[in-house]
Parts: sequence; structure tokens; C-alpha cells
Amino acid sequence: MTEKSIWVFLERKGGDVEDTSLEILGKARELSDRSGMLVTGILPGIIEDGKLKKIIHYGADKLLNLMDDNLNTYSTDLYVHSLQNIVKERMPEILLIGATPYGRDLAGRLAAKLKTGLTANAVTLDVDDNGILISGVPAYGGKIIAEIVCEKSRPQMATVRPGTFRPYFNENRNGEIIAVESNTSGITNRVVVKERKISEFLDLTKSKRTVIAGNGTRGDLKLVREFADYIGADIGVTRPLADRGLISRDFQVGSTGYSLRSEIAVILGVSGSEHFTSGIKDCRTVISIDMNPKAEIFQHSDYCIVGDIFDLIPKAIERMKVKM
Amino acid sequence: MKNIIVCIKVVPKSEAVFFDPVTKRLDRTKAENQINDADKNALETALRIREKYGGKVIVLSMGPPFFEQFLKIAIAMGADDAVLISDRLYGGSDTFPTALILSTAIKKIGDYDLILTGEESSDAGLGQLPAQIAEFLDLPQILFVSSMEINENKVMARRTIKGGYEIVETEIPAVLSIELGINQPRFPDFRRKRWADKEFQLKIWSNEDLRLDENDVGLKGSYTSVRRLVEIMPASRKKIFIEGTSEEKVEKMMEIIRGKLS
Repeated sequence: MTEKSIWVFLERKGGDVEDTSLEILGKARELSDRSGMLVTGILPGIIEDGKLKKIIHYGADKLLNLMDDNLNTYSTDLYVHSLQNIVKERMPEILLIGATPYGRDLAGRLAAKLKTGLTANAVTLDVDDNGILISGVPAYGGKIIAEIVCEKSRPQMATVRPGTFRPYFNENRNGEIIAVESNTSGITNRVVVKERKISEFLDLTKSKRTVIAGNGTRGDLKLVREFADYIGADIGVTRPLADRGLISRDFQVGSTGYSLRSEIAVILGVSGSEHFTSGIKDCRTVISIDMNPKAEIFQHSDYCIVGDIFDLIPKAIERMKVKM
Repeated sequence: MKNIIVCIKVVPKSEAVFFDPVTKRLDRTKAENQINDADKNALETALRIREKYGGKVIVLSMGPPFFEQFLKIAIAMGADDAVLISDRLYGGSDTFPTALILSTAIKKIGDYDLILTGEESSDAGLGQLPAQIAEFLDLPQILFVSSMEINENKVMARRTIKGGYEIVETEIPAVLSIELGINQPRFPDFRRKRWADKEFQLKIWSNEDLRLDENDVGLKGSYTSVRRLVEIMPASRKKIFIEGTSEEKVEKMMEIIRGKLS
């Protein structure tokens, strides 16, 4: 008899595990307490022993570690091969994967291989009385959430949007760490990485204060950054600014970017489409500046200032200079 | 370069999609349709590759017969040929059968070097189709591509990863998904549009052509279903307008920020 379990794919971040994967472990812990299913982390590649133990502290009952140096970095072919083998062998009820670029690259292909249902970019997760996973996915620019289920095949797969759940941590938890043999030596990796560049990565979902720039700033991120620095805030941008290539997508706020949980968000020159406002709904206080008194963004703000950013922001910076 | 196949989806503009709280359904009747934005970026990418390396650009879509007009827009933008897959049997397909249907059509078109798609669609935004098409065709995949070039039988692409990018290389044929906004899609050419409307013969394929098992497509072939739709209520906000001269506005704003920070 096999026990029922919720698997969480643990994405590698060098010699560590991605925060997103730990967040999902936390949620899986909660779903486990409710459904009686065990939480199993599945970790590809070799990692320090101490870090394995930590994964148990983050909520796993079991950790399956695929012992294969070839899996230390991501490869679609090698990951899909190894994961489909172990999933078929042990058949979990549920398999959750972070909706990071690698996670999404993996999940779609793995689901096709396993002939099972996959829900993408979930922002809510629940399990009903029959053990069916209910994944809530924002659609139409975040106007609605569609609750998707996969009733006729296993595992029930979902990718989960980064920053959605909070990690769980308990240093006194015990769990089982199982080394699993994995062999990828006969598998060809068809996509070869020639160069990898990762910049100092900011996790906007954890930002306490954020200044967000839209088209009204005319892309003047220097000014926005200066202001943000003075109030000790991180910066974010709307999709059109990220589309222009002014800054990486890691700074993009909204339904196709990150959702903020900031204590305070200052929003500069953003018209306020639904795509955007779904990303600020969990902020405690929202202050917006825009030229257009009828801008939709003001409907989503606590404090509304009608005015010219190029007048107001330099004045704000001047004032702070004087006070320092 | 042989065929470059671009998969495009026709989507309703999301601003005009309304949620009916009584029926708990979406009202799409007022919504205009359009080619999904990222798919236009994929088409533009394909046209530029053709300009540089030759080949034939073929657009492929699945949907009701009225989608024909959108494929003609793609023709007017410069695509050489268009195939619309249209069959009631295929209605209600989720990603898995959709990928199966599209990849079957891609095999039927044949002789391909590149399969391009947009990174995701603006309506559902799942973005899992390209990986599944790649799996069904047993081809390598490169997702979230922001630029690419061809070197003989290889494609070199820059793809977005968490916190940065990678330059990766694979042999063609390959499946690539193109990031939204990486280029400026050209406008449809007026004369070509007239030709597309009057003379161009679009191929419409049904299951007669693709010959898939009925159990593998549509609702029967889908593994997921929508249990319910939930409207997202906007957070309630104070909406206090700060009045006064710009100095006064700045003063008040800084007070609020400082108050929240302490």
C-alpha cells in the first residue's frame, strides 16, 4: 500500500533551494495537515547535508534526493527524464512546482510526458474532501480567478506563482531523507547553455516599501531611483516600462509580474489597468501621483495626488536633502 | 531555412470581458477579439528570420471559422500561408489536447525548422503550450526568448531566467516561445490585406484532415476542468485626494510616508 502524498519540486538556486520552493513547502504543510497526505520534497542533484535537513524544517515529511551530479543545474531533457521516472514509480497525488522560468519550462513538458493535467501560475491552493487539488488561477488580467481541478489523472500538477505563500519553519521537525539513485548518463541534453548572467536579484514580493514607475515617468528611472533611495524603498515598474527593456522583468509589478505586499507603495504615473492593480491589492498603504485626475489608479489608492511627477518628485527629493 | 510555423491564438480584449455575478460566467459578447500580443511578437520574429535566412512563414491557429479574419491579418503582415484548425470536436480542449492537435497539424504541414509561439496568452496566461508541443514533436524547447539567431543548423537564443538570462544553443528544428514586447510588430500591409481578403485561400482543417481519436480531443481529451469562477474584489481604499500647491502636496505626501515608516 502506498501512502498518499503531496510532492513539492525543489528548484535549485546554485547550492541552495529557491525561496519559491520553500514557500510552496509551507503551503503543502498546511494542505497536508488538512488532508492527511504527506509532504514530500523532491530535490534534484547533490547538495550539502545540512541543507537537506533544513528542507525538513521547512515542512517536508520526506525528502527524495535524486543523487546525480548532472542535475545540479537545470536542463529540460535531464530533469524531465529523471522526474518522470520517479513520479511514475511512486505516483504522488499532487505535484507542485514554482512558476519560475525553469519551473514553467519543466512543468509543461513533464505534464505532457505523464499525460496528466497541469494548472499554471496558481495563486490559491486548496484540497477538497476527496483529495482533489483546487488551484486558483488569475485570468483576464486578474479580473477573475478560475478554480481548476484535475480529477481524472495523477499526479494533479500545478505551478505556483512566486511570492504567493509564506514559508513555514520549525527547527524541531523530523523527517526522512531518502537518497534516490538517478541515472541520466544515457540522456542527451539538447539545449546547451553558453552563457548565464544573473544580476543582483531583488525579490519584489518581499519588499517593504516600493516606488513603482509607469509611463507617466517617461521612463526616467534615475529620478525614480533617487526618490526611492531617499525613502529607503525598492523600485518596481509597470509592464510597458519592462517591455521597453529599461529594466529586467524581475521588477515588473502586476498580473504578469510580481504581486506586492509592501507596507507602503508610492505609484508614479501609472494609469491603473487591471493587469497592474492586481499586483498592488495586498499593499497596506498606496499613494499615487498622476496628471490625470480621473486616472483609474486613484480608485486603487489611499492617497491620491493629482500633479506633475517632474515637479513633485524633485521637490520631494530637495526637501529630504535639506532635512538630512 | 525551411518552414517557420508560428502558432497564434485569437483572444478577447480582457478590458471588455465581464463577470456575471449571477450566472458566475464570463460575458465575452462585448469583447472585441485580437491576435494575442505576444503571438504578434512571435510572428514579427519569424518574418525577420525569413528576411535574413529565407524560408516560409506559416501561421497556425485553432478556433471557430470567424478566426479566419485574424489569420488574414497575419497574412497581410507578411506570412506566406495560414492554416486554421476548426472542428466542433475540438471545442473545450485544455492545453494537453490543444498541444496534441496543433502538433498533429504541424506534422501535417511538415518540413519545419522552427516552431514559434508567444510566451503566453493574455486570457488564460498559462504559457504551457510551447513545452507540450515540443514534447509531442520530440523537439528541444527554448522558452521566454528575447532574441535569437540562426547559425547553420543551430539556433542560438537568449532566454529569460530568474534574475537574468542565459544564452543557449540547440539544433533545429526546435520550439521557441517569444517574450511579449521584444519587438515592434509591423502593421498589416494595405495592398496585401486586400489580396488576403479577396484572393488568398486559407487552409481550414478539421478532424477529417487530422484524424485524431475523438477521445483524445475536446472535453474528453482534457485533464483539467474549471470548477468555478470567482470574481476578485478590488481592495477597499481610502481614496483621499491631497489638495493644495505642489509644495503642500509634497509636504503632506512626505508626512504620510514618514508616518508609515516609523
